[in-house]
Amino acid sequence: MIQVKNLSFGYTDKPFIRDMNFEVREGEIFGFLGPSGAGKSTLQKILIGMLPKYEGSVRVNGIECREHEKDFYENIGVDFEFSTMYEKLTARENLRFFSSLYQRKPRSIEELLEAVGLLSDADKKVSDFSKGMKSRLNFIKALLHDPVLLFLDEPTSGLDPTNNRMMKDLILEEKKKGKTILLTTHNMQDATELCDRVAFIVNGEILALDSPHNLIMAKGAANVTYTWQEDGEKTAVCPLNEIAGDEKLRQLIVENRLQSIHSSEPTLNDIFMDITGRTLV
Amino acid sequence: MRLRNLILWDIRFQAKYGFYFLYAVLTVLYVVLLFALPMDLRRKAAAILIFSDPAAMGMFFMGAVILLEKSQKIPCAFAVSPVKAAEYILAEVISFGAISEIVALVIAVAAGVSNLPGVLIGTLFSSVMFTLLGMIVAAKIKSLNQFVLGTVPFEIICFVPAILYLFGMLPEWMQYVPQVWCMGLIAQIDQSIMGIVWYAMLILLLFFVAYRNIERMWNSMGGAKL
Repeated sequence: MIQVKNLSFGYTDKPFIRDMNFEVREGEIFGFLGPSGAGKSTLQKILIGMLPKYEGSVRVNGIECREHEKDFYENIGVDFEFSTMYEKLTARENLRFFSSLYQRKPRSIEELLEAVGLLSDADKKVSDFSKGMKSRLNFIKALLHDPVLLFLDEPTSGLDPTNNRMMKDLILEEKKKGKTILLTTHNMQDATELCDRVAFIVNGEILALDSPHNLIMAKGAANVTYTWQEDGEKTAVCPLNEIAGDEKLRQLIVENRLQSIHSSEPTLNDIFMDITGRTLV
Repeated sequence: MRLRNLILWDIRFQAKYGFYFLYAVLTVLYVVLLFALPMDLRRKAAAILIFSDPAAMGMFFMGAVILLEKSQKIPCAFAVSPVKAAEYILAEVISFGAISEIVALVIAVAAGVSNLPGVLIGTLFSSVMFTLLGMIVAAKIKSLNQFVLGTVPFEIICFVPAILYLFGMLPEWMQYVPQVWCMGLIAQIDQSIMGIVWYAMLILLLFFVAYRNIERMWNSMGGAKL
């Protein structure tokens, strides 16, 4: 669905994105993860054809991005992080307007509004919407023409936990329908839950690319942390696969002195920090 | 189909943002003003009114339309849609042309103009030119003040020779200057049909510049300058 070969791009003479190579397969959810200014949004803009002056090759749906025609967007849906709606029009009017721009038969506006819990607000002006409501409306605007490829920029940003869950379920539902989804996010938990594969982007380079599970398993085994009382509370950590050889733990179990014991896997965030030396801010 | 939809939605936006209401009020005022003038001045006054307002409204209002769209990041939505810059431009030109024609018709009838088709053709030609000029400036600016300043040179270049021509204060060859030629059509002054050649060349040039400016505006709204 997407092939990127030797991609370099710079806003000035200095390259901002350097020699990137990756592929996105049809039907997968692919995540771009990285701190602010890492190059995620620039990469997304190149992929959606907004920055044609790049070096290398970027093919989306078989079309070289720098050579795309406007009908390229009949098959692509883009959900920007910010609202791109006419504030003085109602939600329904906005969706009717934007659906009228495509040749493809639009999806049912009523069903889409209902799916994101906005049906009862359909006839309210967008200027009266909260940030979270605008975010949900923006998301369904990207689905209106039923595109095969979706670009989602921070789709859960500004959503409360209930709507966050709903949004993630909707994204997974689109994947089930066979859509390819590119997700740009800061949120490691969302990425772990949603993405088939993720790319860690720092300073315009991909530092790691794999499934969240493989990244976690490759970089760190699960640990067991246990506590006991001995002149105050003591804590020890031991790798799960070496637990049988931990004498202290065996002794505490025999003496029935364990206060707590739990296993923990590293999170994607831990792996990101380990690989990139950066946190997601 | 998409162009038709864009035109219909543009007309709805213009109605929603009060353009039609504003021009209904202005038209009544213009008609009252015309009736207050002596008969021998009415036709020239009507020509100036039509040329400087309904015909030129596209130039004044394109600033408002594009600034409003920029503030709501609508250019980003257009940039990633199948809408072509040419379709967007044509829709604005046609929708503003429609209001211009209605208002010009009412003013011309009130002034007792006999050759209404001539006035309507002149108004339409002027409206296309002014809307394209407004779009060219609006696509480049970030505030209403910048727009007002940016359009002043075009207003002087367009209005001064046209009004001087109306009062016979320009040499004959000036009739070929497109804005003067348009005023001649509205004021029903006998002039050469060859003026259309220069007018068409100007419109092609303005369309090309507007197209380039709109495309640049759409693609740069994502935060990156090209």
